[in-house]
Amino acid sequence: MSVLIEAKNLGKTFVDNSIRLGPKRAEVRAVDNVSFQIMKGETLAVVGESGCGKSTLGRLLLRLIEATEGHVSMDGKDLTNLSRQEMRQMRKNMQMVFQDPFGSLSPRRTVAQIISEPMDSFGMIRDKSHRRERVAELLELVGLPAIYMDRKPRQFSGGQRQRIGIARAISVHPSFIVADEPVSALDVSIQAQIINLMQDLQESEGFSILFISHDLAVVRHVADRVAVMYLGRIVEIGPKDQIYAAPHHPYTEALLSAAPHPDPTKEIERIVLQGDVPSPTDIPSGCAFRMRCPIAKDICSSDNPKSVEIMPGHQVACHFAAPHPITNAQRPT
Amino acid sequence: MSKPLLEIRDLNVSFGTKDKPLCVVNDVSFSINPGEAIGVVGESGSGKSMTALSILQLVPTPPARVTGQVYFDGKDLLQLSNSELTSIRGKEIGFIFQEPMSSLNPVMTIGDQIDEAIMLHTDLSADARRVKVLELLRLVGMPDPETRIDVYPDQFSGGMRQRVVIAIAMACNPKLLIADEPTTALDVTIQAQVLDMMLDIRKQYNSAIMLITHDLGVVAEFCERVIVMYAGHILEDADINSLFASPKHPYTQGLLKSVLTLTEKQHRLYQIQGSVPPPGTIKEGCPFRPRCPVRMDRCAVEMPPMKSYGPTHVAACWATAEGVE
Amino acid sequence: MNEVAEPGNAGSQTDNIFEREALADEPTIADAIRAVIFDRLSTKIAAVLVVVFIITAVFAPTLAPYDPLSQSILNINKHPSWEHWLGTDQFGRDVMSRMIYGSRNSLIFGLLSPIFAAILGVTLGVTAGYFGGIVDRLISRVVDMLMAFPELLLAILIAAALGGSFWNIVVVLTIAFTPGFARVARASTLAVKQEPYVEAAIAAGVSTPVIIIRHIIPNILAPIVVLMTLWAASSIRVEATLSFLGIGTQPPNPSWGNIIRDGLANMFATQWPILAGGLTITVVVLAISILGDSVRDALDPETNQ
Repeated sequence: MSVLIEAKNLGKTFVDNSIRLGPKRAEVRAVDNVSFQIMKGETLAVVGESGCGKSTLGRLLLRLIEATEGHVSMDGKDLTNLSRQEMRQMRKNMQMVFQDPFGSLSPRRTVAQIISEPMDSFGMIRDKSHRRERVAELLELVGLPAIYMDRKPRQFSGGQRQRIGIARAISVHPSFIVADEPVSALDVSIQAQIINLMQDLQESEGFSILFISHDLAVVRHVADRVAVMYLGRIVEIGPKDQIYAAPHHPYTEALLSAAPHPDPTKEIERIVLQGDVPSPTDIPSGCAFRMRCPIAKDICSSDNPKSVEIMPGHQVACHFAAPHPITNAQRPT
Repeated sequence: MSKPLLEIRDLNVSFGTKDKPLCVVNDVSFSINPGEAIGVVGESGSGKSMTALSILQLVPTPPARVTGQVYFDGKDLLQLSNSELTSIRGKEIGFIFQEPMSSLNPVMTIGDQIDEAIMLHTDLSADARRVKVLELLRLVGMPDPETRIDVYPDQFSGGMRQRVVIAIAMACNPKLLIADEPTTALDVTIQAQVLDMMLDIRKQYNSAIMLITHDLGVVAEFCERVIVMYAGHILEDADINSLFASPKHPYTQGLLKSVLTLTEKQHRLYQIQGSVPPPGTIKEGCPFRPRCPVRMDRCAVEMPPMKSYGPTHVAACWATAEGVE
Repeated sequence: MNEVAEPGNAGSQTDNIFEREALADEPTIADAIRAVIFDRLSTKIAAVLVVVFIITAVFAPTLAPYDPLSQSILNINKHPSWEHWLGTDQFGRDVMSRMIYGSRNSLIFGLLSPIFAAILGVTLGVTAGYFGGIVDRLISRVVDMLMAFPELLLAILIAAALGGSFWNIVVVLTIAFTPGFARVARASTLAVKQEPYVEAAIAAGVSTPVIIIRHIIPNILAPIVVLMTLWAASSIRVEATLSFLGIGTQPPNPSWGNIIRDGLANMFATQWPILAGGLTITVVVLAISILGDSVRDALDPETNQ
């Protein structure tokens, strides 16, 4: 398999530039020195809690946000230095599916206009009848009846809108799609439909996906590889089965054990992490996770752990990386 | 058999005009026993929140119309006046809302907000109340309560705020705690903290809990009994083990099959076709009929009655009643 | 009943579910405006008055009984009569006809300046709001500067400097009104720019001009339209004021402002021109303002239920 997307030492610091009185606003380190690759046709899932920088990371890859350091390349071509115009042409190959099925479709435009917009932008539409033909094809492809192409988004349910958003993304046959929490706003019974749809389309179209999610159960079903993020850093990345069967970072393990399990007969020993995620304006020294880590030692506050390959393709950034069941976790008082 | 703490009979909530009513809760009946943890599960538009709100007359009428009976300790809450209700709200029945960000007053310290709940319903002195507030903060796992008591809500994270909201709800040791999606807005590790804490509280206080959620995982860990709602109807009501082991309603079966788990790996997810109908679009028969894999002609005409499948398991489905799988 | 026969296969099942879900269209903006107009008596009356005003201006040559410019030494300072409903002025001109022709002036100013100002202001505001940075700061400072001048003072200043020709007044009012539109457009653009569908368009590869025309401007128009109605009233008032001060529409061409001005000079002979001019301006400006308020209410989701 060949590499499609490569991120090298990617970083983003948000600075509030607005002129204001009083003390200068703190800088927010949203993404910190992140490197990874995405293979052709592969799904890499990025999991983490709110504020961990996973959405920012997705947008950095597409240059919807400009990186403050590092590089992104696609098919070996560095995207970071492309001009606006060149970047716009690149977007034919890289599309996005959004979290909010209500906000991400312009309320004033018809479904046909929404879906054909990327094709229009890249001159892939010959005339009116060709546009309707393509839109009809795409709607059928995502499981919606073509006769509704002249309706406005508000007449559709959340799941159907997400289908429209997916049709828009695949309309230009991209080789890479960033899906930012595509099912988290949907009802349980609809989530499965959308996940199945995305997987079917990936099989037939062959695109790669960066799947951003906070839901480990969803990730389990869609991902080939998983990257776990905490406070802007990737703390563990590896093949899905390894991550789920033998997580090596205590945060990954805690995340896995925290997810409620829909089976009342199973009693699971849960690791309850103490405290809250620190603010990204004030990231602890050393390992960002040490404040909540049940196995933190002195070294964790002084040295930021380097990412170490513990198995082929499985990297962990922890001084004490091991497939440890952390059973002696303390409970909050 | 103990007397139920809360008994809801034929609760109906509808909006819209007399001629074109939009029913969001249809003939809902169930009861909660003292100390019982009951989960109400449903997707958006299932009427689960509306049911909870109407227990305490928190649904604005008009525009809504609420009919039926809600017996709590022998009194029909729907017949009580507003002043009679205030002695029950917060004191006998505590309420936890989904949004930890907006359910606290930003210009009052959290101590004052918890204190307010105590002051309303007890005659304790100011000092005694402060002791009680500190006790509550410790109960909900607030680190360093002596300093946090005088802090404003905006200095707290979502998880901490939800702890404060729970402390307010628990202030008068209510017999029933209604929690509407208490952890939905929280991150998974914070959710684990809050759920853990709520389990501890239950053990200590023995309050009955009505937990409203869309998350079957949360229900499985927290509740003893589950009510499954869909489009304003109760479709199934069963104890937790029986429901997860052998769901009787096709909707529950579909939900459980399509729910994603961490352990089992399926190649393709089971999916329920279609989506939840908007309120008022299905007027007769079973609301799940259009999406149901085992529907029959009868389903279009008549809402199936509750049929018993064991001592603690009822479901409303014609097909299941006739043994169709 | 909107029940559909139970389908046999999965494909048509999707269709039927879909049919059931498809909701009726929400009321359009036009519906909302209609609802508000017919809801309130004051708005109804205002709407009728504005329509009468527009008809009068459009059909002035047909409606006016006399030539507004023709003087008559024999009919100076007449009080109202069957021949001259509002009497005549010091040159023997029919006041009624002058008022009717004057409405054309007011209508043209009431329409032109807000439209020009809206076009200019939206261009500036959207540019500032969408691109931000130095462009935003430059435009915003200029707009702030213009905003600091009271619009009337600014108008008087420019009219006095350039003279009171028709286009000068239009230009003056356009400049005076542009900052308001620019500010509203900028604020709305900043809000709309945050909408996920704008990011979706960028991610889809849509070019910037197309994003602005397709996704930004249509979604900021509601407050702009409201502002236009409110400033239509304002511009009628300012035009009348300038003409009254002698730096607006120049005599002998009739305008409500200079009818009052001429009437004032001749106040002790006949009071009718002042009364007619003053009352008409009050009524028309009030009617347009009331209508504008209602349009705002109709477009504002907060007040619209």
